[in-house]
Amino acid sequence: MIISEQISSPVAPKNRRTVARQAHVWLALALLLVAVLSLATGPTGTSLWSALGKMFSGKPLTAMERVVLWDIRMPRLIIGILVGAGLAVSGALMQGLFRNPLADPGLVGVGAGGTLGAILAIVLGSTLPIWFSDIVGNMLIPVSAFFGSWLVIVVLYRVSTRHGRTSVATMLLAGIALAALAAALSGIVIFMADDQQLRDLTFWSLGSLAGATWTKVVITAPLILIAIGGSLFLGHGLNALALGEATASHLGIAVQRLKLLTILIVAMATGAAVAVSGGIGFIGIIVPHLLRLATGPDHRTLLLNVALLGAAILLTADIISRLIIAPAELPIGIVTAVLGAPVFLWILLRRRGLVDM
Amino acid sequence: MISARDIRVEFSKKPILHGVDFNARPGEVTAIVGPNGSGKTTLLRALTDEVHWTGQISVNDRDIHAYKPWELAAIRGVLPQIATIAFPFTVIEVVRLGLTSGTHGGEDRIVQQALQRVGLAGYENRFFQELSGGEQQRAHLARVLCQVWDPMRDGTPRWLLLDEPVASLDIGHQLLIMNCLQDFARRGGGVVAVMHDLNLTAMVADAVTMIARGEAIAQGPLPEVFTDHWLSAAYQCDLKTNAVPPNPSAFILPQTAALRGH
Repeated sequence: MIISEQISSPVAPKNRRTVARQAHVWLALALLLVAVLSLATGPTGTSLWSALGKMFSGKPLTAMERVVLWDIRMPRLIIGILVGAGLAVSGALMQGLFRNPLADPGLVGVGAGGTLGAILAIVLGSTLPIWFSDIVGNMLIPVSAFFGSWLVIVVLYRVSTRHGRTSVATMLLAGIALAALAAALSGIVIFMADDQQLRDLTFWSLGSLAGATWTKVVITAPLILIAIGGSLFLGHGLNALALGEATASHLGIAVQRLKLLTILIVAMATGAAVAVSGGIGFIGIIVPHLLRLATGPDHRTLLLNVALLGAAILLTADIISRLIIAPAELPIGIVTAVLGAPVFLWILLRRRGLVDM
Repeated sequence: MISARDIRVEFSKKPILHGVDFNARPGEVTAIVGPNGSGKTTLLRALTDEVHWTGQISVNDRDIHAYKPWELAAIRGVLPQIATIAFPFTVIEVVRLGLTSGTHGGEDRIVQQALQRVGLAGYENRFFQELSGGEQQRAHLARVLCQVWDPMRDGTPRWLLLDEPVASLDIGHQLLIMNCLQDFARRGGGVVAVMHDLNLTAMVADAVTMIARGEAIAQGPLPEVFTDHWLSAAYQCDLKTNAVPPNPSAFILPQTAALRGH
């Protein structure tokens, strides 16, 4: 009794709103710093600093410097920012939609759905009529991944939410089942792949930013930027949705439209991220959780902060993955899992009651 | 004016409300009373479109389906019986959610006054999830009050629809909240509240709709509905009303025979 009274009246800092707004600036600066470090990191001896020195003094860059910095590290940096921001925002949006801090695209099968879509596109893409491939071109894999992710979220939402209330236990269990189903279907499709496709698949499924090219930047950037930009308009609605669907609609929110948009945006961002970088987990759960602790749950400021911190953390994980067993590279998915899985367990232990809801 | 005609609600083929008519006038506190499971909460949830219903409902003489969600939110605040919150919002953040498009100007002042009215001044930065049940209920009420802060806007009345607003409150706070609702009605707004406590209802309600077994068995001004006959019929036990001076309102007392009978 005494113990519960001691811990029963914590108070939030008075100026949470201001802190959350200032965080936009600090996180943007942090992202800039990590971005520069990312450009400077790599197995070749190429130095960003000497290249910058040359650029400022007007001397020409060597061919090596141009290839490493402009064709390898720069697209990798941009893909890293897009994927990190996209996955983190997807996580925050899903948590808002399911009204639960444990919802994460990677954990509940949305990533697996995207993976299935991407694998289908890689393996069956060559069997499509030429005129069709000409039209969709490079967009086939991300678009197919988008439909895979979208299908999983829609089924998941239908299964776990009744009368506007989401059962967390059902959501997690259904997510496991859907992820297993998507993985099994992916396995079947992989059996139909030829040797070349198999090599593509293996490389891609490791979850790495190493394959980043300018082409991939051009394909991914519009999807993820539209998703993140769109998410910034959902903040007020998601705040109201935290009170439940009925109350949100009494507050004047068009709840069906909000849910539809949220699901579309999550599927776009997750699908595009999975298509370009394979399975990278836990970004969507660590980043929003840390920011809610630091600056509060107001989605109007949270979503932009989540995008910035997500990008910075994924770039950091990418730098670690390049340094830890250099000159080889650890798949980035391993780094994010090592960082993220303990955070997930920590949330679970702190708020066990959540799972009983 | 909120009026409803022939409201029917079914839950998995089982009829809960069979054709209920309901009226609430601005300037009055209208109570919906009835025994457990009679359908009184279901009636409120039909009025607020939270359950699937058939029939016809109008708010301020306009069909409810003709309103956009935000138009309705600007004239009507709804307080549900239980409202959990998903994330660690603070009290003031929750109350601010009530500042919808219907509120303009002086938002911070309105939030402070609303907190004061429900007796939560000083609770601004406490975490909502850490409050007691009664405090959470009052925080939500402050949010709903913010939503329809002025009881009248451009000559149209605004509405508060509440499901057992004082259910988990102590008697002091019950009176505080009921005063607050009465004040809203006196200034031209309309209040519809599902009530459990008959004596409290007798003190504050102007009109009563009595629901029993899915039907409105009596409705009208309080003195016409709160009679021995209707109360006993609704609750199916022997009840007598007594005025206790100096309080003019009727107090409902069970007859001791009713106790012995059980």
